[in-house]
Amino acid sequence: MSYIEMKNIYKVYPPDVIALEEVNFSLQKGEIHSLIGENGAGKSTLMKILYGLVHPSSGQVYINGNEVKINSPSDAINFGIGMVHQEFMLIPSFKVYENVILGMERTKKFGVINKEEAINELEELTKRYGFDLDLNAVTSDLSVAARQKVEILKLLYRKVDILIFDEPTAVLTPQETEQLFTEIKSMKEMGKTIIFISHKLDEVLEISDRITIMRSGRIVSSIENKNLTKSNLAKMMVGKEVILSVTKKPIEPGQIILKTENLTVDFKQSKHKFLQDINIYVRAGEIVGLAGIEGNGQLELVQTIIGESQSLNGKIYIDKNEITNSEIKERRFLISYIPSDRKKYGLALTATLTENLSMTHHLGNKLSSFKYFINWTKAKVLSNNLLNQYNIVARGINDMPKHLSGGNQQKVILAREFSLDAPFLLLDQPTRGLDVGSIEYVHNVILKMREKGKAILLISADLDELLSLSDRVYVIRNGKIVVELDPTVHSKEEVGEYMLGGKE
Amino acid sequence: MKSLNKILTGIIGIIFSLLVGALLIKIQGNSPINAYKALYDYGLGSWFSITSTLNNSTPLILTGIAAAIAFSSNVNNLGQPGQLIIGALSAALLGYYLPFPGWFGIITILILSGIIGGLYASIAGILKKLYKMDEMLTTLMLNFIADYLTLYLATYPFLDKKSYVPATKMIKKEYFLPSFKYLNSSFFIAIFVVLISYFVVKYFKKGYEWRMMGHNPDFSRIGGCDNEQNLMWVMFYTGFLSGLAGALLILGGTQHRFIKGIGANYGWDGVMLSIVGANGILETSFFSLFFGFLKSGGVGMEFEASIPSEFIMVLQATIVLLVVSTRSVFSYYGDKIKAYSKTQKVVKAHE
Repeated sequence: MSYIEMKNIYKVYPPDVIALEEVNFSLQKGEIHSLIGENGAGKSTLMKILYGLVHPSSGQVYINGNEVKINSPSDAINFGIGMVHQEFMLIPSFKVYENVILGMERTKKFGVINKEEAINELEELTKRYGFDLDLNAVTSDLSVAARQKVEILKLLYRKVDILIFDEPTAVLTPQETEQLFTEIKSMKEMGKTIIFISHKLDEVLEISDRITIMRSGRIVSSIENKNLTKSNLAKMMVGKEVILSVTKKPIEPGQIILKTENLTVDFKQSKHKFLQDINIYVRAGEIVGLAGIEGNGQLELVQTIIGESQSLNGKIYIDKNEITNSEIKERRFLISYIPSDRKKYGLALTATLTENLSMTHHLGNKLSSFKYFINWTKAKVLSNNLLNQYNIVARGINDMPKHLSGGNQQKVILAREFSLDAPFLLLDQPTRGLDVGSIEYVHNVILKMREKGKAILLISADLDELLSLSDRVYVIRNGKIVVELDPTVHSKEEVGEYMLGGKE
Repeated sequence: MKSLNKILTGIIGIIFSLLVGALLIKIQGNSPINAYKALYDYGLGSWFSITSTLNNSTPLILTGIAAAIAFSSNVNNLGQPGQLIIGALSAALLGYYLPFPGWFGIITILILSGIIGGLYASIAGILKKLYKMDEMLTTLMLNFIADYLTLYLATYPFLDKKSYVPATKMIKKEYFLPSFKYLNSSFFIAIFVVLISYFVVKYFKKGYEWRMMGHNPDFSRIGGCDNEQNLMWVMFYTGFLSGLAGALLILGGTQHRFIKGIGANYGWDGVMLSIVGANGILETSFFSLFFGFLKSGGVGMEFEASIPSEFIMVLQATIVLLVVSTRSVFSYYGDKIKAYSKTQKVVKAHE
């Protein structure tokens, strides 16, 4: 008998979006079970049903053969099911142990929290699972990886037996990922059951006992992790052959397009973040990667280049124009920009696709017959062309981005920005949160722009992506460029060491 | 299609409100049938009623679209009452002192009063730009300043000595806007301005930028639009519309002078109308006509059924609440029902 059995699960999101269709999912006690699939395949919805965040339109859930109704996350916790979300739910100013016991505080007389007992219990837990965590540290001082541990500890403290991890490695460096895997394995040894949601096929193959593959709301297959390869999995996920490796044509780089001279940025609001004497250049026809752990100055560099914030010192040139003090509007004639937060900066979710695709294009005269007007006929022609050219799946140019999948939303941004024909491309996490099929597509488009002779600065937390696409890689740490590396020579692990500061 | 939807849900909400209103009338011991018959007779029953409805709706149309354009651009201009009253006072003074002849004078007065209303609204824009002051607060506060400033000016420096209440002197006869069979030409000016505004918002690059700023200000800024400048323009334009509404009250109304209380509730009604019209220019204008109907019909209810005219304000408030809730209820339960039937269909297909 299976530990957890989800039978004939259907979920229709109002008004008529089918997220899950006749899904049967079973989980054995003590296994590490990976759930993979493209975005919108339904893996998160399925897990949210198990965790009580979403209610199924039809279908049953059984635990040890008994039918249960999981109406809320607290029900789920009572049934021994916990979830580690992508966005952490911690109070930054609290100490680690305070965050862990929050909501489950044991008290002495007069409602005073029994701190000693809590700390003792947590110390015992961290020792048992091999967590390296200071229980008295303030949460906001912790690294992302450490905060993730706090989240896990929260669940262990609540004595859950099943831990659902929603893309836990998306925010981690290779070294941190290794550590997480060690911890997951030790949890398994302690008898816990793990569900692991991921996009990264290497990781899935490394850690899972069983793999369930989902595609467009159904389960394609649920198999033992034996004799499987990445391309097997990718094919089942996407439904067709996927080329995972990137093939770059050799290109002799042209003249320098982007150049920064001693760029220094000092944010008065926060003492941690700054840039110091950044000297980088990007030539026409080359992709330059910027590697670094999140929060080491990438955000500030991007904002300074695009014009969201001003630099204290130094100069920025694009195509021989100095733009150090230019308005965003002037810069946008020279820069195509893919922002990392696509919903906040890249789209107006409730406007039409035509309106979304016309942004920035409208600054020039391409879309107008008279200077101060927009000719919507021209804008519609442009939108229709881009929709076809970039295979954007939508109900037409009057559809809204909020109805599109993440991959298609990203394609809308790519279509708009790459058709601007600017000499310099600033790509901030262009494939974050996308599925394998879309990532392949985005990589190909980026490479095409490289062949067209654009200068491309690529920022990505995915080191595999960064190293396979880039011609050169800068490593940024504490707001300084630490080193420039050649991805054909240096390995992922070496880059990781520079990022962590192990090598100078 | 979308704007038809907004209008249909609006009408359903209005029907519900009239039912609630009927109940209230009944509770007070009056006959709802008589009351609503009087509402109809005085609001739509004859040519004279129709023209009075249209005349009443004229300032509402302008303050309504002023609010709609501001809100749909993510600019919280709540200063329509103040901007309207400033525009009205300007028109009254210009109408008395301006030496220009007939039509030329009228056009000058309308445009100048609009500009003064726009500049008054721009104060909030400047405060936002320089000191990051929230425009919702500043426009609200500027309403009080406008109220007392105009009252002062009409009570002391520009007081008409023959008047018993604070009022300015009557404007020149040649600046009176003519009526055609009781319908004042200011109504046509308002409709003309609606069409222009629709065109500006839809086809001007600036209008596109305003709308995108309304959808997502971060998106428009990163896309290369100057949000600060656009905020100033929206403030000025919507202030212009409210100022123009005030000027039309003086030139086209019945008093032809600035009197204490002339602004009535037109500014706030505009804010309500933009909510009922879901910030659409055409939808808001449509519902302005309906509010105009309530105003002229309300007089009838007072005369014929002795229901106090304040009842119309209760009805207006009920309409706003019920239209907004009807809209949410329709989309929420409509989607739920669709999802349910879809589930049934899919499950059946698998059995």
